[in-house]
Amino acid sequence: MLDTDMTRPGFERLVSAQAPLARIHHGMSFGEGPLWNRREEAFYWVDIVGDAIYRWKPGVGAEVFIRPSTKANGLTFDREGRLCVAGWASRSVWRVERDGSVATLASHYHGKRINSPNDIVVRSDGSIYFTDSPGALYNVGMAAEDVQQYLDFQGVFRISPDGARVDAVVTDTVYPNGLAFTPDESVLYVNDTRLGEIRAYDVTPDGGCGPMRLFHKLAGDEPGIADGMKVDVEGNVYCTGPGGIHVIGADGKLLGRIRIPDHCTNMAWGDADWRSLYITTYSSVFRTRVNVPGVAVW
Amino acid sequence: MVKFERVAGPFQGPTGGLAWDGSGMLFTAIAEGRILRYDPRSGKANELRKYTNRTNGIAFGPDGALYGCQENSRRVVRFAADGSTSTTGYLLDGCYHNHPNNLAVDSKGRIWFSDPKSELRASGPQIFPPLDHASVLRLEIDPFRKLWSLRRMTFDTVAPRAVALSPDESVLYVAETDNAPMGKRELRAYPVLPDDTLGAHTVLHAFGRDHRGEHRGIEGMCVDDEGRIVGCAGWRKSGPGPLVYVFAGSGAVVESHPLPFDQPMNCAFGDAGLYVTTAGGELWRGR
Repeated sequence: MLDTDMTRPGFERLVSAQAPLARIHHGMSFGEGPLWNRREEAFYWVDIVGDAIYRWKPGVGAEVFIRPSTKANGLTFDREGRLCVAGWASRSVWRVERDGSVATLASHYHGKRINSPNDIVVRSDGSIYFTDSPGALYNVGMAAEDVQQYLDFQGVFRISPDGARVDAVVTDTVYPNGLAFTPDESVLYVNDTRLGEIRAYDVTPDGGCGPMRLFHKLAGDEPGIADGMKVDVEGNVYCTGPGGIHVIGADGKLLGRIRIPDHCTNMAWGDADWRSLYITTYSSVFRTRVNVPGVAVW
Repeated sequence: MVKFERVAGPFQGPTGGLAWDGSGMLFTAIAEGRILRYDPRSGKANELRKYTNRTNGIAFGPDGALYGCQENSRRVVRFAADGSTSTTGYLLDGCYHNHPNNLAVDSKGRIWFSDPKSELRASGPQIFPPLDHASVLRLEIDPFRKLWSLRRMTFDTVAPRAVALSPDESVLYVAETDNAPMGKRELRAYPVLPDDTLGAHTVLHAFGRDHRGEHRGIEGMCVDDEGRIVGCAGWRKSGPGPLVYVFAGSGAVVESHPLPFDQPMNCAFGDAGLYVTTAGGELWRGR
């Protein structure tokens, strides 16, 4: 049974209170980076502090996929199914090639080392967007080798489909964290942990971002922050926040919250119908079911 | 009579640690997250480093690098000349230490630092509790593997702040400073024993209290060439007011200098006198 609150009409159509909440893994310091692999029917995630990428299969269980992981954070797949990693403490975005080697996709901007890639999403044209908050430079237990910040902003970058260009597309965020496109990919949502808000940017024809619009300000004073964020096929936004997961309509208004019994960090759609929600917390991975499928990855 | 003049600031929030680089005085603007350098020839203070995440105490090591107590990240960091910053050892018996405050580097490159608990909220998720003690810790690098190790040196402190070594490195001076009601505020001397541990401390000076409140203890200190301990203490609300004390190694107060500003934070000698930072975010020089 799900514990929900702050609900408005329309919430039950998306989230049934009768849905189960199962804990499928526990014993981590800082879970993050949830990602479903449709072809393998496997769930991937990271433990940042534990410096590992994990893989879990229903009925089989969890195994270490990569360790050490240079404290990998957000994960996604590109259009060819290669694992792309927001490499928090490596201060780079890297990709696992078919032969198992690792390729660096972005590490510098205008000759300066970037901060620490936090979360990552791939657009259908193959471009990669990632948030570049400075947490691996400052956070206890998550330190990069070089902890000096060189850039004077904490923004969102876009790697062009051919990998040749790394452009700053958002520069007005304080601590950008989760990011996701609307289903038609015309708008990029970026949440800002420090400001506790979700921002919306129209995507321009060249892949850049237009002016910022405030989409939603998170409610509640329980533990929990704007961290991971995903969008379902109808455009509803699921974002971590105080108390658990906040479900926000495409109009920017809160529909309700799913209370999670641990500090929630991120979530991902999964299973063959993309209607399961895999939720990472500091210590655990939870899995529940929702009624409207999420935007598929690869 | 020492005459003090303000040479830089005020900056946002207090200024903290200082280190003389041979021709200029480095000092930290703690809340601004910056290290500045005051050049006595030009009379100007320029930014040397930014994004320091509340670095307070700073000191040069024998390797020429600048080490700093990065309070908000709960670690001592090494600021290299190429502009990069690396961490040192931050785990004591597998646990993250507290909020480092002040440090002293000895001739072997070992870093002695105070590790008080703090009301500050460290950066990142609050998943690492503080240690069950607040001590002076010592960092030491393995020259072959280049790995830092961390060792607890004091076992009887609860609020260590300023640390300094005698010129021959045979005595560690620790200011135990808890300005809360009934807290201890003492200047202590710990002998460094032949087995590389610290012996029982002697109290060189203790600060009192009166109906206006506790007399503010030593926040920062340094040792001069003759081995005298120069400490910043006091505030206007109680006691004799803000002062620079000069103590002999015995604890005898051989000089005291009233300050024309409140709440001195730390001090260091430059070629043109004694530099003092303040809670008001300034840099003063006395000569």
